[in-house]
Amino acid sequence: MASAGPSPGMGPIMVLNSKTQRTHGRQAQIGNIAAARAVADIIRSTLGPRSMLKMLLDPMGGIVITNDGNCILREVDVSHPTAKSMIELSRAQDEEVGDGTTSVIILAGEMLINAEPFVRANVHPTVIVRGYNYALQEALSICEKLALTVDVHDADRMKALVQSCIGTKFSSRWNDIMIDMALKAVLTVARETPTISSTHGGVSDVYSQKMEVDIKRYAKVEKIPGGEIADCAVLSGVMFNKDVTHSKMRRRIENPRILLLDSPLEYKKGESQTNVEITDEEDWNTLLKMEEEYVENMCMEIIAFKPDIVITEKGVSDLAQHYFAKANITAFRRLRKTDNNRVARATGATIVSRTDEIRESDIGTGCGLFEMRKIGEEYFAFFEQCKDPKACTIILRGGSKDVLNEIERNLTDAMLVVRNVVFDPRLLPGGGATEMAVSVGLRKAGLKLEGVQQGPFLAVGEAMEVIPRTLAQNCGVSVIRTVTQLRAKHAAAYEEAEKENGGGVFPKCNWGLDGTTGKLVDMEEFGIWEPFSVKIQTIKTAVESACMILRIDDIVFGSKKKGH
Amino acid sequence: EGVIYFKEKPSKSNQNNAKCQLQIRLARVCSSTVRETGQDVRVGNVTAALAVANIVKTSLGPVGLDKMLVDDIGDVLITNDGATILKSLEVEHPAARVLVDLAKLQDQEVGDGTTSVVIIASELLRRGNDLVKNGIHPTTIISGYRMALKAAVSYIKKEMVVNVSELGDDHLINAAKTSMSSKIIGKETDFFSRLAVDAVKSVKMNATAADVAGYDAMGSGGGGGAERLAESASATAAGGTTAGGTKQRYKYPLSAIHILKAHGKSSMESNLIDGGFAINAMRAAQGMPTFVEMSMDGTPVKIAMLDMNLQRHRMGMGVQVIVKDPAEIENIKRREMDITKERIRKIIDAGARVVLTTKGVDDLCMKYFVEAGIICARRCNREDLKRLAKATGGRVVTTMADMEGNETFDAECLGGCDSVREVRIGDGEMLYVYGCRGHGASTIVLRGANEYMLDEMDRALHDSLCVVKRMLESNTLVPGGGAAEAALSVYLDDYATTIETREQMVIQEYADALLVIPKTLAVNAAKDASELVARLRSVHAKGQHSEDMVDYGFKFMGLDLIEGTIRDNLAAGVVEPAISKIKSLRFATEVPTMRR
Repeated sequence: MASAGPSPGMGPIMVLNSKTQRTHGRQAQIGNIAAARAVADIIRSTLGPRSMLKMLLDPMGGIVITNDGNCILREVDVSHPTAKSMIELSRAQDEEVGDGTTSVIILAGEMLINAEPFVRANVHPTVIVRGYNYALQEALSICEKLALTVDVHDADRMKALVQSCIGTKFSSRWNDIMIDMALKAVLTVARETPTISSTHGGVSDVYSQKMEVDIKRYAKVEKIPGGEIADCAVLSGVMFNKDVTHSKMRRRIENPRILLLDSPLEYKKGESQTNVEITDEEDWNTLLKMEEEYVENMCMEIIAFKPDIVITEKGVSDLAQHYFAKANITAFRRLRKTDNNRVARATGATIVSRTDEIRESDIGTGCGLFEMRKIGEEYFAFFEQCKDPKACTIILRGGSKDVLNEIERNLTDAMLVVRNVVFDPRLLPGGGATEMAVSVGLRKAGLKLEGVQQGPFLAVGEAMEVIPRTLAQNCGVSVIRTVTQLRAKHAAAYEEAEKENGGGVFPKCNWGLDGTTGKLVDMEEFGIWEPFSVKIQTIKTAVESACMILRIDDIVFGSKKKGH
Repeated sequence: EGVIYFKEKPSKSNQNNAKCQLQIRLARVCSSTVRETGQDVRVGNVTAALAVANIVKTSLGPVGLDKMLVDDIGDVLITNDGATILKSLEVEHPAARVLVDLAKLQDQEVGDGTTSVVIIASELLRRGNDLVKNGIHPTTIISGYRMALKAAVSYIKKEMVVNVSELGDDHLINAAKTSMSSKIIGKETDFFSRLAVDAVKSVKMNATAADVAGYDAMGSGGGGGAERLAESASATAAGGTTAGGTKQRYKYPLSAIHILKAHGKSSMESNLIDGGFAINAMRAAQGMPTFVEMSMDGTPVKIAMLDMNLQRHRMGMGVQVIVKDPAEIENIKRREMDITKERIRKIIDAGARVVLTTKGVDDLCMKYFVEAGIICARRCNREDLKRLAKATGGRVVTTMADMEGNETFDAECLGGCDSVREVRIGDGEMLYVYGCRGHGASTIVLRGANEYMLDEMDRALHDSLCVVKRMLESNTLVPGGGAAEAALSVYLDDYATTIETREQMVIQEYADALLVIPKTLAVNAAKDASELVARLRSVHAKGQHSEDMVDYGFKFMGLDLIEGTIRDNLAAGVVEPAISKIKSLRFATEVPTMRR
């Protein structure tokens, strides 16, 4: 309600719609910071190996049990616009790198909380933002120096890496299985992609990547309730939940020839509307016969290639089933497109859309063993022992659906971590070591900085400490003592390096916090590493979003809808 | 009678002059019309205008702050752009709405300076109101304002404008920086200004008469180009440059710059694909290659852009085919499939290696593309395809029918490029087209923490692109940071004393009103506004009154908002295109002259 001014005899002048509410100046800034803090507080307890799960009830009465930051925030219904913006961060982080969704929120919240004293002290927000931005660049360069390159095929290192990622999760009891599964799944679907040749050297493209890892499409997680978690496995091939169409068909075939179709194997009317007027009885018979012949033709065309298995995305008529059963062919119908793609990639088949266009090269022969298995009450088709499968299915077994859902989320995180390392094989120490190193580094660099932005610059360094602090808090040790010790360790390493090299070289100090015991450990020996890309993304997102929120000095509720 | 007319307040939110006048005539006859007259109306209008200006005031300048707008359903918009803020607010007061429209106009015409135009206009209104209180007739105020404007514009053209025959990149980058310094990307101006300048330069086009004709021939897409050219020509004329008719001119159609937003990564990882184009679409089938590139001998990758359905052919409504033999039905069915198949075959035979369509592609047809190693994407955005067609020198094909009634696919319609690849961004995929062979086209891919940030980056970048375009087209610039306003204010003060009529006072007020820009800048930066503005004015007065050539540079003195002092803003690189300054003055002056 921006109404003002003495206007004799008129009452206030309504400029804006009277429903509009405004908060501005200090009040808006402090409100934003409070909202960010509230969001960060929701998920603070889910960071680290000693984290707790959250149980969320949705309006429909369903429950979600998780400690995945993004998953929690997605379910929480917030009304403050800044809080919403924070939740978006988690989503962006999830889509970009798939991990660190909790840390990004905690870090962004802390960045804002640390800005509060400056806002109260009347430091201009643009000055704070500038300081934050300098600090971000400095922090990134510190991270670059700390980074360690890893060999993607070094199984032990990779295992340790995944371990540190899903160590915090519910499935940590079965870590070994989970880690092996994640590694195997990702390395299975990883595929070299052609790179842009040097002729286009002028094209600056930061996205050109040598590897393609499409977990979403080619590493399918199938959850089957029942059994034990220890029964989980990654198939060297694919599996889907379908039974053969005809009970007489073979249920176990070695080295099958597989034909994939996306057309129906039944009579299908044309697209154009057809009316048939029959005056002759003969014609009726021909018509019926024609339909039969049509199906027969298709089947014969298929049988000519002697496939052992025929899979189609559409229906298979009874007549076709009969022909197939007679020709000793196993048939599946109504397979999902995505499943079909996966089968195609695993077995080397091409999906055919017209039976008269089948060629020998379309038949997939990569599969070593086809078998129908009964798990619980349902039948599953397994295509295993594939030669160099570029797609796989991950079978998860476990007590209940909720447990399985959480395991799936954990596994997805783990796979994404592996994927990130495949893309960018650089690592940073985990357990708060990177954050502490950045914090100490920023403090040193900040003191040399002149001008008002020094304060905000140092504040970023302090905010980075929230990660080791929260880790210590969640495992129940004395927060202040632990964090001070850790800080001292890093500072000492810094001093030493300065003495030796005259300050030119950045010290590699990998001391961090063992999140389970709360003791200080050298991450180099302890083996907790995190992908470089995740850490960098976390810091960037946190600082940038903090800057965006700090720049706001006016909140108007009840503006027009978009697109008006 | 005239007084009554000017004081008349339209009873509802109508801005239509004709309707307004009609109501006035009605009002004389019919007493039921609600009427507010005299001083009340004027005070009301001014208060409303000031309220609007106050909303956007804090977002002006390099130290201005952002607004967060939350709509009824809770969607959030974070912005610093004056026009966007005002557009999203439900402004009800008629006088205030005029200001909102003014910001919109400035956004359309110039693209930048939306906040300052609102602030100046409201200041002019306020001062006009005070003059009326002092017994000066509104018509005098109007003519005074007009005189002041005329003097101001000619002064800018004569004295302030720096003519740069060949604009160096530094000037362009400086102008872009000035425009984006107040925005969310302000902290990374070095990076984004280079991005904006490169983007605009990459779409450089010769603007010749033949070109215009050629564009007209190209049909729908060309219309925009021709308009833009006309606009740029008139803009240059208004800018006062003496571009000879024979001189080779260029145009920079901003529509050729495609801005794509993808969340994730950080804003510094935004990039420009020079001569490239990105489409938010993915391959239709997984079997297709993710990458095609030109052959070794340099034959470009051919792209077919279709605006037609590649689904199974369906006979038109009401078309009837009567067959005698039932077996014929089978043939109809087969034919349906074959028609589409033949079409695809023709497209492939024409040499297309990438097929993009706005409509669907039948699953049945995927195999042909897969086998031929062609990238095919369906359900592309039609506007995107049109732009891509321009960029690659191809055409969007809507039908394959030719004059003989047969179906052919003309290889002429194919666009060319160096390579096409599918790129994973965040959670989705996009098709990147590199090295387009047609007219310039570029794509800027913006990255950022979340959607709100991306939207604001898009708006900020758009403003900067407009500024760079204006600079390139007019080749003139003026110093920013309040320098032009201060100089004008001093100049108009002097000018006023040469006028012997009543308008003198009005022109003086106009001169004072312009100072609202440096004042607001200083206030936003939390500096001592009165002192800074006083110093600024005295420096400019010295420069203008002195004969000494040493003092000549004083007219470029503006504010340094970080240090809280004054400096030569031309040397410091705070510059704006002259045309933008002149237009914003023109627009701002229109409002009070219309309302009085």
